[in-house]
Amino acid sequence: MDRVTKTLLAIVGVMIILSPIGILLVWNYSDAWGEWDVNTVEQMVGHKLPGMEKLADIWNHAVLPDYNVPGWEDKLHASIGYIISAVVGTALVMLLYYALVKFTVGKGTSS
Amino acid sequence: MHIPDGYLGPYTCAFFYLIMIPIWYKAFRWLKNLKPSQVPLLGVLTAFSFLVMMYNMPVPGGTTAHIVGGTIIAILISPWAATVSLTIVLLIQALFFGDGGITTYAANVFNMGVVLPFVGYYTYRFLTQRLKLNEIVSAGIGAYVGIVTAAIMAGIELGIQPYLQPGYCPYPLRVSVPAMAIAHLVTAGPAAAVVTAAVVWYVKKSRPDLFAMRTITKTRG
Repeated sequence: MDRVTKTLLAIVGVMIILSPIGILLVWNYSDAWGEWDVNTVEQMVGHKLPGMEKLADIWNHAVLPDYNVPGWEDKLHASIGYIISAVVGTALVMLLYYALVKFTVGKGTSS
Repeated sequence: MHIPDGYLGPYTCAFFYLIMIPIWYKAFRWLKNLKPSQVPLLGVLTAFSFLVMMYNMPVPGGTTAHIVGGTIIAILISPWAATVSLTIVLLIQALFFGDGGITTYAANVFNMGVVLPFVGYYTYRFLTQRLKLNEIVSAGIGAYVGIVTAAIMAGIELGIQPYLQPGYCPYPLRVSVPAMAIAHLVTAGPAAAVVTAAVVWYVKKSRPDLFAMRTITKTRG
């Protein structure tokens, strides 16, 4: 492995460990704009949103919803849940990437 | 910038899946041209993109924003590589972490995996090749323009919903576009500029050979 990739890999490691910064820094903030759950939006606008209600829960099989272990609400547990999510997510992303690369890279004719 | 399920009506969702089909075809075909020596770099940058999106930053007014990393990949490898990376990252985020959505997946890939890296990349190219501006400065400006444009695009998609079919995103364009733009103009944009400039500077300095391998110098340079 080349030096640049090694360094970037080390950065990835550091980013996993420090990831709780990404929730602690915004602990008392609301979600990103346009990412609130249905009930919150309905409360904000003061009426029902039938379309949104129907689609919002179309996928409810997220293992680590909002990058956390369900029920780990306090800052310490949420931080641990966040690190677990960072590890799991990085692993899944890499797995999918290398699976894809295995089937495609180097099979080109145009280059 | 991850539009959740329910915010976009069925027509908008279907529209973006249709738009993404040829783009995905082109991007995955492009992947065949990735050089073996670029494979680890793209892998680690894809992981970087996933992680950098976990760093939520406070936006004045009480919301949050994050950077994406798409322009970094576009400059260091190719904007098509960024499309492939973000296709992977956004799929994992939607399925396993409930960030983004299934119905809105194509729209999210379009914003963060197409608009963002291509606008970032062509801004960078224009600045370096036409205006002969410094590479690192251009990379930062490219990332800034890229993420702000992508955010405005997301704002437009959300804001047209009340005109198309009520019951989905309730906020019209005059609310959604400024909200998305401001969050990225003041918070995520500057962060993207600094991070992108730093990573591009580092890779260019330590691996000029990898830097020279980019499609930019090979095809049209």
